[in-house]
Amino acid sequence: MKVEFANIFIRSAIEVFQKEANISLSRQSLVKKNAPIPSLPVSIVLGITGYLRGQVVYSLDENFAYSVARAMLPNKLPAEIRKLTNSAVSEIANIITGQASIALAGEKMKIDLTPPAVFSGEGMLVDFLSIPTISLRMISEIGVIEINIALTEDGVG
Amino acid sequence: MHTGLIVDDAAIMRVRLREILEPEFQVVAEAGNGNEALSLYEETKPDFVTLDITMPQLNGIAALKSLLAANPGARVVIVSAVGQKQIVFDAISIGAKDFIIKPFDPERVLKSVRRLFE
Repeated sequence: MKVEFANIFIRSAIEVFQKEANISLSRQSLVKKNAPIPSLPVSIVLGITGYLRGQVVYSLDENFAYSVARAMLPNKLPAEIRKLTNSAVSEIANIITGQASIALAGEKMKIDLTPPAVFSGEGMLVDFLSIPTISLRMISEIGVIEINIALTEDGVG
Repeated sequence: MHTGLIVDDAAIMRVRLREILEPEFQVVAEAGNGNEALSLYEETKPDFVTLDITMPQLNGIAALKSLLAANPGARVVIVSAVGQKQIVFDAISIGAKDFIIKPFDPERVLKSVRRLFE
């Protein structure tokens, strides 16, 4: 998988967090893994098909997730924000991936995204396919988000 | 006051779009997928629709085709994270009046809906 994909997702994440939640992100680390297994308790999984195929798996902790929702819903009470927290992080992940897909698709290719699936809670066991993965950690003043990019291009790893 | 139907699988996006639109327009229904959108359109006959693309059951492009086949005068604005050139072209070719890419500026959404009635 091309490392340049990482730069596309880094740029998208920075832009989307700033515009949607007024949160500044910066890159903390980049490692390679064998599968897009998330390491934080709240995970959002999107499938990708088309000229690129695979998954993008985001993860963050519950406090950061709540903070993101609160930033996106400044006029709502805490109880309503809590109800919409999973939807907020799911939508942020959707928008980041959508933005990245514009750059990845270029002029002529097409990439489709699946609706995001959110998993949250400690001790959950989810199996992921073994696909070479680039795992990014992006940091802000209020938390960390991990982005696991497991994409293959035209069947090539 | 013109009436609207908001279609997006993300509950938070439906809340935010309602907040943006409601001072000026009346949101009469919300749908979380394309099938619900088609039912609610027939039930409420809104003056406009905001329509997401990536949704479960029936996606926005398929819903747009069906909606316009049954209601050729429907005013639909796409509001989606998937803004690839081919998809924008497809949506406008099918008959969407505008395509707004997320993350969006609230004023962009308002201007787009206002323009539907000029």
